[in-house]
Amino acid sequence: MNAVKNRASLSRSPRKFAAVISAALVGALALSAMPAQGASTPGVSDTEIVLGMQLPQTGPASPGYNKVDDAMRAYFDYVNSKGGVYGRKITLVAYDDEYKAGKTVTTASKLINKDKVFAMVGSVGTQTHISVIKDINRRGIPDLFVNSGYSGFYTDPKKYPTTFGALGTYVAEAKILGKYIKENLATKNVGILYQTDDFGRNTVEGLTTAGVTFTPKKTAATFIAGTQAGGLDAQMQQLKDNNVEVVVVGAVASAFAAAVGSANKIGYKPQYIVISVGSDATTFQTILFTKGIPFASSGALLAGTISASHAPSPGEADDEFVKAFKKINDEFNKGPATGKTWDNNVLQGMNIGYVTTAALMGAGKDLTRPGIINYIKNNPAKLSSAAFAPLGYSATTHEAFTGFWIGKYDAATVLKPIDGTRKVWTTDSAKGAVTELKYTRPAIAADALPKVG
Amino acid sequence: MKLSIRKSIATVGVAALVATGVLVSVPAANAAEPTCTTSKTGLETCTGTLANGAGYQFKMPFNFKGTMFFWEHGIRWTYPGVSPVPTGVEQIAPSSVNGNFDISKEMLLAGYGLATYDGTVKGLRGWNSAYRIDMIKELIDIASAKYPKIEKKVLYGASQAGSTITPFVEKYPTYADSVGIMAGVTPSIADAVQSACDIFYILSVFADPTIKGCAAFGLKGVPGHMASLGELQKVVALLGAWSKNLGAPGLEYPAALKGSGIPQRSALLLTGLLSGIPTKSAHMDGISTNAVIAEHSINATVAVLENIGSALGSGVLAGQSLSEITGAGFYDNTKTNWASLLDEGDAGRYNLGLSGDEAITAMLGVLSMAPRVTGDAAAIAKFKALDKSSFTSQHPTILLHNEADRLVFPGQTVRYVDRKREVYEKALSSWEKTRTGKKPIWNTLALWTLTPETYTKFTAAGLPDLTGPVAASGVDHESFTKKQLKAWVDMLAVAAKSGKVPTDAYVEYIATKVPYLNGDLDFRPADLKYNFGY
Repeated sequence: MNAVKNRASLSRSPRKFAAVISAALVGALALSAMPAQGASTPGVSDTEIVLGMQLPQTGPASPGYNKVDDAMRAYFDYVNSKGGVYGRKITLVAYDDEYKAGKTVTTASKLINKDKVFAMVGSVGTQTHISVIKDINRRGIPDLFVNSGYSGFYTDPKKYPTTFGALGTYVAEAKILGKYIKENLATKNVGILYQTDDFGRNTVEGLTTAGVTFTPKKTAATFIAGTQAGGLDAQMQQLKDNNVEVVVVGAVASAFAAAVGSANKIGYKPQYIVISVGSDATTFQTILFTKGIPFASSGALLAGTISASHAPSPGEADDEFVKAFKKINDEFNKGPATGKTWDNNVLQGMNIGYVTTAALMGAGKDLTRPGIINYIKNNPAKLSSAAFAPLGYSATTHEAFTGFWIGKYDAATVLKPIDGTRKVWTTDSAKGAVTELKYTRPAIAADALPKVG
Repeated sequence: MKLSIRKSIATVGVAALVATGVLVSVPAANAAEPTCTTSKTGLETCTGTLANGAGYQFKMPFNFKGTMFFWEHGIRWTYPGVSPVPTGVEQIAPSSVNGNFDISKEMLLAGYGLATYDGTVKGLRGWNSAYRIDMIKELIDIASAKYPKIEKKVLYGASQAGSTITPFVEKYPTYADSVGIMAGVTPSIADAVQSACDIFYILSVFADPTIKGCAAFGLKGVPGHMASLGELQKVVALLGAWSKNLGAPGLEYPAALKGSGIPQRSALLLTGLLSGIPTKSAHMDGISTNAVIAEHSINATVAVLENIGSALGSGVLAGQSLSEITGAGFYDNTKTNWASLLDEGDAGRYNLGLSGDEAITAMLGVLSMAPRVTGDAAAIAKFKALDKSSFTSQHPTILLHNEADRLVFPGQTVRYVDRKREVYEKALSSWEKTRTGKKPIWNTLALWTLTPETYTKFTAAGLPDLTGPVAASGVDHESFTKKQLKAWVDMLAVAAKSGKVPTDAYVEYIATKVPYLNGDLDFRPADLKYNFGY
């Protein structure tokens, strides 16, 4: 689809037109306050940069994810307290789409037309974002650091030139987990539970590339995303009946929680290996809590689960980024008490705030939409973050973090390196090999602000 | 389950039972002089007949300010002996189907003169766009002769009028100073009718193998009319069943999918998405959920169910009418790539309603392997050549469309703007090479009327209420609020004087005053699924 605008701009002053039309208009259309015409970049003034975000703040899909916006805003407020970016304060406008795509469409329209945002940043969800990504790109609006690992958003920048990820792709992550399975669990009967959509398809694709395959209806159990609330009894029974010892989960956290709940009912306790967004401890425990399982018990159910991460675990109190972000969160997060509780979602929000600030700084004082897109695309190495892997942005891909380390949840729901030593693995979203990443994460500055010079 | 889309189905059914499209060459005669009367308030009303006998009407207010509006009504389905045939002018100004009003009173108060004619004279009905071009010219000639005080002429109309007005102003550029198209089709109609025929075909694969759809069209007169109605009745029966069970039972057809666990509603939703039926309807907002409508994509499925009857009704009526022009066999899907018609965003957004990727793959796989409809080469060529326009007109042109028009899909207006844009950019590029002659200007504006964000209501039993008031805006065909219609005609009047469409800033401002009028000038709803060129 070509980027075709409805109409070209006209050079004629609206005031002149207004004078002509005023004679013809009656009643409610009478002119009283014609707006001034401006040609500057939307969402950017001498004193402010307005950013927009969409996420589920309420509803079944919201636990955990609904903390990301407050964390991002806390970091921006911290930046504002230090003078902002080139004297401009950053304002984040976030709307609740309840993880309903129809609302994602209407809230996007509101952000673009009412709030006049400069860019979208940190929006959450694959099924929701896929409903607006084409329109956002058609309009040339930067679509920064999307919280979805669906590779289809990023691996063809000609299709979605303004969109950049905030996670590694599900394909890359699955490839890395697949390598781990091949090397460490080859003697086990490995199965999979996945949702039959972009997320699940990405997961299967990555595992297959790594040589881990499954038999449909036997070692591969599926469900339609959105149906997991009623439990996944049949799927877990199927995997149990087929003697699956290791269950890879390519699904959102609410589905993982449902799967564990269903398995628990039938005394089925396989080794779980979960794509990172599906293993978020807060989401997992909150959902099980609503089903009557107290946090202490759900923590025990999560313990032993293998997952991956690009960033430090929020429980790594000595990590310099964790330390700095936690301090900012304590001081600046104005979200509800439960919302500001330090966890992986807050860390992710802080990290997106940090990278966004770096991109705004790097794009320069004369901030434009094409300018920031070009800066991000051409300078990923200058956009450091808490992650143990660099950002993979380039002219040919807009994938975010290209590396993951593999860990296991302990009894305190902290993901810890599986053999005590963190090894970061890297690969692409295609057929490239999985190799160990040698990357030294740049240190965070004493003032916890990014340095892009 | 008593989900009442019955009303809309019944409407379609009744319309279909009384309808057909027949083109009759009407012999020319001498136009009669208009007969005029003047009311106590100073409103002069004139009636007369065009050379072919078609009735026309003028309304000239005492406070006339120099701008005359010429109204071109949409398609009319009449058949002598089967349904009432209009005996004269039925509509002289934009009207709203849902509101059951027109804005003639408001327009006359504003000092606009009104004119129109009856496009259905003496059997000239159905897809008669080619004939109506000369009728418009004659109407404007008569009005201009009678009223020398006319300074500016606005040519505007609805629905089928898009395929008449567009070539008209290209042929007679001095006959209009501004152009308005409301809920209109963009030449050629073939782009849209192909999708309507697809609906029949897809339903024949998934629900009722006896459906022949557009392949059954082509006989002239009553036999053709009855054959097309027979096809529609098969679909009406399907919709009736789905309205009771929400399409919950598993697919029975084709054999490959029987027992697959894919519910019929998933095939219905897929049918809608492949053909471009809006996923919002008069009562379904595509968002609201409850225990029965458990997910937004199920809401959208019910919207497709509510819309599909009207979409197909028009498909039948237009299709049969077109077949009398093209001959049988205008529909051909031998080269259709069904998977390419499913937008990636739709597959993700409506994934649950479609029963997930595996079901989508299975259904598309079945469609790709099902026997295709092979058309007739000559009929296909005529079909794709209908109502051609060059889109070279530089008249200020303002389009008005509901974002969820169930009959003339919003992609029609998108297509109009795209074609105008393409021609404009070519002309501009050419002008820039020589810098001679008049510099082309961009002079097209699409106004969109939106739905409220949410408006679905549920009955006490938890079912979607499809019998209550329809959404306040943005749905149905030729259905707008008075304020929306008045804003449109006012813009047309001023554009006729200035020679240019309003500025972005002005439209954005007016949108703050007119509820649900979209101020987003970059708004772009879904495209039509086919583009046979122009």
